[in-house]
Amino acid sequence: MSLQDFCHQLNQLAEEASSAFRNATELEELEAARIEFLGAKNGRLKSVQKLMGTVPKEEKPQAGQTLNQVKNSIQDGFEEAKTRLVSDGSESGVDPTFDATLPGLGRRLGRLHPISQTINELTDIMGRLGFSLAVGPEIEDEHHNFNSLNIPNDHPARDTLENFYLVPESERTKQLLLRSQTSTVQVRVMDATPPPIRIISLGRVYRPDTADATHYPMFHQMEGLMVDEAVTMADLKSTLRMFATSYLGDEVSIRFRPSFFPFTEPSVEVDFYWNGQWMEFGGAGMVDPNVLRSVGYDPEQVTGFAFGLGVERLCMRRYGILDIRDLFTNDVRFLRQF
Amino acid sequence: MIVSWKWIQDYVSPTASMEEVVDKLTMSGLNHESTELVMGDSAIDLEVTSNRSDCLGHLGVAREISVLFDLPLSIPDPQPESIDVDVSTLLRVEIQCPDLCPRYTARVLRGVKVGPSPAWLQEKLATLGLNSVNNIVDATNYVMMECGQPLHAFDLAKVSGGRIQVREAKPEEEFFAIDHKTYALGSGMCVIADADKAVALGGVMGGSESEVSEATVDLLIEAAEFTSQAIRQTARKLKLHSDASYRFERPLDSHGVDWASRRCCELILKLAGGELLDGVIDVGAPPTTPGPVEIRFAQIPRVLGIDVPVDETCRILQALGCKEVSRDVTSLKLIPPTWRADLTREIDLIEEVARVYGYDQIPEDVAVPMIASHYSSRDRTLAIVRQVMTSLGFDEAMTPSLVPESWEDRFTPWSDAGSLKSQQPMEGVLDRGSQTAGPVRCLRRSLLPSLIEARRINEFRGNESIELFEIAKVYLPRKDQLPEEPLLLSVVSETDYVTVKGVVETLFQQLHVSQRAKILPSQRGLLDSTRQAQWMLGETVLGWIGELSEAAMSENSLRRPCAVMEINLEALFAHVQLVPQQQVLSSFPYVDRDFNFIVEESVTWAELKGTVVESSGDVLEHVQFREVFRNPERDGASKKRVLLSVRLRAGHETLTGEQADKICQKIIETSKREHQAELLG
Repeated sequence: MSLQDFCHQLNQLAEEASSAFRNATELEELEAARIEFLGAKNGRLKSVQKLMGTVPKEEKPQAGQTLNQVKNSIQDGFEEAKTRLVSDGSESGVDPTFDATLPGLGRRLGRLHPISQTINELTDIMGRLGFSLAVGPEIEDEHHNFNSLNIPNDHPARDTLENFYLVPESERTKQLLLRSQTSTVQVRVMDATPPPIRIISLGRVYRPDTADATHYPMFHQMEGLMVDEAVTMADLKSTLRMFATSYLGDEVSIRFRPSFFPFTEPSVEVDFYWNGQWMEFGGAGMVDPNVLRSVGYDPEQVTGFAFGLGVERLCMRRYGILDIRDLFTNDVRFLRQF
Repeated sequence: MIVSWKWIQDYVSPTASMEEVVDKLTMSGLNHESTELVMGDSAIDLEVTSNRSDCLGHLGVAREISVLFDLPLSIPDPQPESIDVDVSTLLRVEIQCPDLCPRYTARVLRGVKVGPSPAWLQEKLATLGLNSVNNIVDATNYVMMECGQPLHAFDLAKVSGGRIQVREAKPEEEFFAIDHKTYALGSGMCVIADADKAVALGGVMGGSESEVSEATVDLLIEAAEFTSQAIRQTARKLKLHSDASYRFERPLDSHGVDWASRRCCELILKLAGGELLDGVIDVGAPPTTPGPVEIRFAQIPRVLGIDVPVDETCRILQALGCKEVSRDVTSLKLIPPTWRADLTREIDLIEEVARVYGYDQIPEDVAVPMIASHYSSRDRTLAIVRQVMTSLGFDEAMTPSLVPESWEDRFTPWSDAGSLKSQQPMEGVLDRGSQTAGPVRCLRRSLLPSLIEARRINEFRGNESIELFEIAKVYLPRKDQLPEEPLLLSVVSETDYVTVKGVVETLFQQLHVSQRAKILPSQRGLLDSTRQAQWMLGETVLGWIGELSEAAMSENSLRRPCAVMEINLEALFAHVQLVPQQQVLSSFPYVDRDFNFIVEESVTWAELKGTVVESSGDVLEHVQFREVFRNPERDGASKKRVLLSVRLRAGHETLTGEQADKICQKIIETSKREHQAELLG
């Protein structure tokens, strides 16, 4: 083949390729055109290139030069078209099949029970104030639930109708009951540990109230206990103020009103002043010397304070829960609100 | 206790306003509940704690006001005139049950004229919400509301034989009370009887027949002491609560008994005329006088954290009625007043000083010493468990510890001993759909029945993806010690066995449980017999996983599939690694190989995996289960194909192709030898 024919074929190819690339409106179409003209195995440029062997030897350098030019120009045409199509797509910015508002494919996480969340928060705050968590049995004997807490045999709190006493196995077995307060844990800790003590006990307690919107025969209590050589009611007040300030996230005032609990003396009701009103917090007091003595502490050497509060009440107030029974029905729609 | 503001002023004259007085009472121990206006008077409702029976009468409240505002208190001194006929000539009293009634006093009035009460008396009682009956009954009520000691007036003519017997009620003894109801009495109850029958239920209510009427001429005025516990139980059992029983349920002032009796007779003479016989019948234990109590001044700051001036301490205690015995620079010795049975120790006196001096004097900003606290491993583990469970999409449930008897034996793998039972059931805790389940009084031995119930309620309410877990104790009886209370983790899920198994495996990973769990066959009633297993951790039972049997599904009205799990967290705690240690990782090239074995159905994945692990030695990085496939036409029945892959990597050198081939060959040979596993392809 003469150089002229070879160049002619090349130019014709270049023209066709250029027009194919120019006219391509989709990337797929352009890719098809690229394969037709520039394909590595059967592309048309490849076919023409093979003809170079038939060009007379002395004209080959010239043929090679033209081939390179044409090859570059076809390649350029392709790149140009590609750039055009790709940028075209992004400029128009519309894919009618893409709906950015469809729900995301998240994984559903479970929720902790609001009582658990409250307990975690309380434990955390008390931990920062130096109180470690102590645990004890929910089924107790009368010694731990009453006697060691300075509740004598004829005290109304020991009435069979005020407690969940267990059916005794036999006549001679010890009378057991579901604990009516978490103070039992404090007695067990003091029995086993010499002072100083700084603990909270937290857990289920039981009293036979019929369940209604504000009562449930099972609920949770948190009790704190601090015993050391010079613990006073000022320490109690200051500790509770720090607790309330941490829990409510704001400066809070504390008020004591006299009250009566067998295991503390003096005994007080504690109120918080917050958001312009007094709110009941729970009971507190100085550990009664009889309680200290019953665990082998010397009330002349150590003093202590104790306080207790109902977790449900705190939790319900925090989350705006109106009926305590909702806490124990476990409707997942309820649980997933918190 | 409802207090009339006007009445109070018979004994003390406050200069402060009523609001101020009420506020101060609240802050010193008599919590103000409400105040109502009644006919130009104010009825102030004050909450009296069980230790303060002295405030169950107007005198006691007036005394509080006099102490708080440092005002004089005037207490009447009743000295009714009597005629020269001794009371014992007309009446005899005998106490047969001193454990129920330790002391009984009686006075007799003759020739009284029963009639309406004067306006001043009717109004005072009306403020307290008491209806006027007649001048006699009103007088007894008036004195009770004045000093707190309940009294009773009998028509002496109806007390047959002129004899009063204070005795324990006979079994099923009938008693017709002034509320015109008949009560069946029993042991532990105290009756006031004449020669024939009970004329009053001691300390609780009078009898209808001996009640004072228009026709009454002669009176017996009873002022007695009853045992508080006995009164409490009697009132409870009969559901019969009166102003008298309310007061007798608390310790009253023994020394006030005679005062009340005299005061009442004086008032009756004034209101109804007649004559009072001389003397009093006073049988039983005479009142005792409390011993002295010492208060060391240094103890006040030691307990309260503030100093109270010595003069103020003395003033407060004396104004409260304590009589000074001796005093020096460091302490004060006092005899507490008889109406304050709650003051027997130094700490009791300190509390009195504190509440009157004012708790508002105690600072709320002292520096409490800082100390370190810590979370136990147990608590840290539980926090991780909760985090894993919620991350896996489970909501935390909380269910009551007591369950009905009919649920209790549904799943009891943790203890064969029957459940502990409480004497009283929990009331009002069952869902409407489970009202027929029976009394809720069994201490549960598994959390699953409660969670299945929660699942049922959720399904009934049309809720979606009900995935619940609970962490709570169960109660397992033990001989001669407190019951065991292991903490369990239970799950109900709408998925299946393998998904719930994955929950346990994830927990193991997150808690870095070192011990390998072993899975054993199990046959537990609640679960589908073909879809359950028991898990062991070392020698300890970890728990059970399974899908609910069809019977259990229909018994609990569940419509969607239900897989459950219950594990004993106590078994897990010992094997948890809260602070994992870094393992050095190899960065040498790895070799992945797949195996497709044909084995008998009976060969488990755990067995096959065990063989692969043993044959590969320490270059095995992991074995992964891919799938099980069955092709009975080619492989024959009861055969399955198990596809697994292994990744091999050496720690300190590049594993060569020959080494890898050798290991694979060993895997294939051992699997063939131990499980007749044929390698496919």
